[in-house]
Amino acid sequence: MTPAARAEEVWKVYGQGEAAVQALRGVSAEFDRGRYTAIMGPSGSGKSTLMHCLAGLDTVSSGQVYIGETKVTGLSDAGLTKLRRDKVGFIFQQFNLLPTLTAEENITLPLAIAGRKPDPAWYKTVIDTVGLGDRLKHRPSELSGGQQQRVACARALVSRPEVIFADEPTGNLDSRSGTDVLNFLRDSVRRHGQTIVMVTHDPNAASFADRVVFLADGQIVDEMGEPTAESVLDRMKKLDRGEG
Amino acid sequence: MLKAMLRGLLAHKLRLLLSALAIVLGTAFMSAAFVGGDTISKGFTEMFSQINENLDVQVTAKSDAPQPQGGSDIVTAVVPKDVADRLETVDGVEHATPQVISDGARVIDKNGKAVPSTGPPRFGIGWPTGPGDQPLVVMREGQPPTAPDQVAISKNLADVTGYQVGDKVEVITLQPRQPFTITGIVGVSEDRDSLGGETYVMFTEPRAQRLMLGRPDVYSNVDLKAKPGVTPERLKANVQQVLGGDYEALTAEETAVEQAGPIETFLNVFKIALSVFGLLGLITGVFLIFNTFSMLVAQRTRELALYRSFGANRQQVLKSVLVESLLLGLVSSVVGLIVGIGLGWLLKWGLGEVGGNPLPGSGVVVRPIVVVATLLAGILITMLAALLPAIRASRVAPLEAMRDAAKPDKPLRGLTITGLAVLVAGLVLLVLRGSKAVDNNLLTLGLGSLLVFLGAVMLAPALSRPITRFIGKPVDRAMPGRLGVRNTGRNPRRTALTAAALMIGVTLATGAGLFASSVKSGVTDLFQQDLNADLTLQADFSAGPTAGFDPALQQRLQAIPGVEAATAIRGDTVRMAGRDTVASALDPFAAQTLFSVKAKAGEVRALNPGEVILPDGFAEQAGLPVGQSTTMRAARGESKNLTVVGIIEPNQLVTGPIISEQDASGFRSPLAQQAYVKVTDESQVDSVRQQMNALVANNPEVSVGSPADQLKQATAFLDLLLLILNFLLGLTILVAVLGVINTLLLSVFERTRELGMLRAVGMSRSRVSWMITVESILISLFGALMGMVLGTALGIALVKILGGDFLRLTIPWGYLVITLVAAIVVGVLAALLPAARAARLNVLQAIAYE
Repeated sequence: MTPAARAEEVWKVYGQGEAAVQALRGVSAEFDRGRYTAIMGPSGSGKSTLMHCLAGLDTVSSGQVYIGETKVTGLSDAGLTKLRRDKVGFIFQQFNLLPTLTAEENITLPLAIAGRKPDPAWYKTVIDTVGLGDRLKHRPSELSGGQQQRVACARALVSRPEVIFADEPTGNLDSRSGTDVLNFLRDSVRRHGQTIVMVTHDPNAASFADRVVFLADGQIVDEMGEPTAESVLDRMKKLDRGEG
Repeated sequence: MLKAMLRGLLAHKLRLLLSALAIVLGTAFMSAAFVGGDTISKGFTEMFSQINENLDVQVTAKSDAPQPQGGSDIVTAVVPKDVADRLETVDGVEHATPQVISDGARVIDKNGKAVPSTGPPRFGIGWPTGPGDQPLVVMREGQPPTAPDQVAISKNLADVTGYQVGDKVEVITLQPRQPFTITGIVGVSEDRDSLGGETYVMFTEPRAQRLMLGRPDVYSNVDLKAKPGVTPERLKANVQQVLGGDYEALTAEETAVEQAGPIETFLNVFKIALSVFGLLGLITGVFLIFNTFSMLVAQRTRELALYRSFGANRQQVLKSVLVESLLLGLVSSVVGLIVGIGLGWLLKWGLGEVGGNPLPGSGVVVRPIVVVATLLAGILITMLAALLPAIRASRVAPLEAMRDAAKPDKPLRGLTITGLAVLVAGLVLLVLRGSKAVDNNLLTLGLGSLLVFLGAVMLAPALSRPITRFIGKPVDRAMPGRLGVRNTGRNPRRTALTAAALMIGVTLATGAGLFASSVKSGVTDLFQQDLNADLTLQADFSAGPTAGFDPALQQRLQAIPGVEAATAIRGDTVRMAGRDTVASALDPFAAQTLFSVKAKAGEVRALNPGEVILPDGFAEQAGLPVGQSTTMRAARGESKNLTVVGIIEPNQLVTGPIISEQDASGFRSPLAQQAYVKVTDESQVDSVRQQMNALVANNPEVSVGSPADQLKQATAFLDLLLLILNFLLGLTILVAVLGVINTLLLSVFERTRELGMLRAVGMSRSRVSWMITVESILISLFGALMGMVLGTALGIALVKILGGDFLRLTIPWGYLVITLVAAIVVGVLAALLPAARAARLNVLQAIAYE
């Protein structure tokens, strides 16, 4: 089975000549289906850039990126738009909900954009998992941060994408709401076989994942299965000291 | 602090650019009107002074002749030869040149048509023959006329007709067409054919006296040259002393001013009208500027709060925002002024081109008052628009520096209630006027309309959400459309203000459109109501006030087989019972059939000399019952005593006194201008028309037509007026469109992250564009709808209040539909730039955008 997302020798260089910054230096990685992967690394390690390149939000300087069978590299804007619409889900640090739409409308937004109807059974499952109850008809401004982020998670899930990319999804939440969201994400992997790639710098958040990939100076330096908060923290400390 | 704030201001260049553009447009329009007008008028004044070079004092007979509206170049008061001769001997006179010049010499071209005029006079002039006399024109080619059957014509006439020296030509004057031989071509100077499009036909002096002034041995004026050392003022005084009160002496300078007078009057109307539209554009800009400054202040809340926490006081914040608006107003007004000066020059050039004759003078006149007025208007209006946002800025608390800038919408309740109150107050004023309780038009109609408008503007925010939701229904199904609809309702104040800007222009256009269509149907009704004719004879409009046909034609019309009734109408402004009114010589008997004239008192019958029939209103105002005598003075000749023999019921077609043909001998023109014919049987219309055509075949200035043609001519004028008005209102619409663009750019800017998210979850560029376009169309439609409702309401109020027979309430549906379609087009156009911006957003940067 092909992995849900794959990077092959991906280089990303910003700027030119002397001022050039190499954000990614030959990164190769595979993200298996039905798995929850965390990408970790210190600031400037290139973890966000990697995610953006994988999701087709940013172009690579060289190398290849695949989402499922689709080669992302070289797609036109229209192709990328369609890819994001049909195969990718996003969860942002800032929840990025539309204030004019209700929670429910926000959840179904990607389907509405694609002009599709939600699969009723799946939709019910997602709604139940979000656990908003009667607040579904509320506007985002009437929801708490945790609730908003759960709506954002449901929005990513509802179209059953090949892969969901989550960029610091708990960065703006207190620890309890954060834990709620992380549990929610882990459940969607465990119960529904969703693939999630999450960028974070929080070892506790990473401990919810099945696997952690460590990035430093634009290169993958290590990875770890069945992580715990402690083991991730230890690894990170070494990275911070530059002991790669 | 100011420096820091100005830097903040410059960070929002594009938005400021749009506000600036609105002010530039308004001030440019205003200043162009004045600069253009002033430049043209200076050109004419200069030119007239140049023409008067050879004279120091001009003597004319004082005229107290009744003048038609708009004045006349037909000379009716003349200087007799003995007076002219006497002038030669007045102390200080070096030389006196008696002149014969008057309007109304029409040359027949090679196709047998009279050369038309678009307005400028067609002068007939006598070539002065005395030793030392100065002709008014210069010879370009050939010789001056020396025999009664010779003429010289102006270069522009020669150009238009193709006549050359030696050709035969016919000219219509106070007398019907007469044959002449062209002996020469003249111009006003070596390089100018005419001053402003007027034409010249030069006759020998005795011939000109008869043809142009109607009498031998009289002159229209005498030009005096002063002896060396005698000032024009001195000479004027000497002449005045010798001639007394019957004659008027003017210095060359005064003459130039007087000659330029009619042009000056026209230019003043032109200047005021255009600058009113410029001002309207500026007022429309207020909404745009208000939106921009509100947004600037909101965006900089944190920054402003920071200044406050550093110890800046409220006044400093207030002042700094006002200084920003002052600078914006100043810079834009200066640019507007410069553009306006350019446009003013262009205007003069353009008018010359359209008239086919370059306007005189060179250079551009920029009066200091125009500079001051333009800058003041631009700056004050900008500052006025920024005042409220500035006050809001000064109220920012230092604490807000720490807080999240997001603030909930202020409730609209207070604004809505105030708006409702203002609207009702305005309506009450209109109703008061409608029920004739108050008669002051300015207070009721003016203030009432203004209050209704302001009330509507204040209600607009509360209305914007439900109305845009409703008109957005058709596009609400699909997601981008739905988002566009919801976004429109997101900031009701801003949406409403943007739409209100559009509302100004649309309200005026709709109100005017409704009024015009009501006038049109009213006039049509009246015309059809009282008129009972099948065919008309009509002097061509372009043939000027002296054109027409021999009134004796009336008998021949009546004699045509199949004609039931016919009358010629010969009208002119006369003074009767101390009032200037248009009297007509016509057949009262035929008028009963043709114009539904009915006697109210006395009798309606054929008139003998010395008898008059009055319309009811005139008789009442002048206090003239049947049997009473009154005086009538026509343009030429002495006062006559007339006895009232009949008074007629109010009539739409006969609105002035009816007199006998004999008593019309003092009219400016010996010709009748119109005739109406009714046939006994409809089948005879064609044969009668043929006979009528034969009757006037020899007359190039008169054509046979039908009442329908006349009606079409009358209403075509209304259409033209409406077209010009809409064209001028285009400026306010343009500014309003800038406002829509501005608001959309603000939306795109503020919603950058949202747009990024939408793109990230798979919305295509074209759908993002469509989303913005929907918002744009909804704002435009909302503004247009409000304007249409308001314009229609105010138009109806105006029609009802003014009442009058010439108005029948008619709602111009076609016009309204066109307005709606135009609003959609405007919306689409306004969305182009903002939508492109939104679509081009870099997804990644947009998401990361703070």
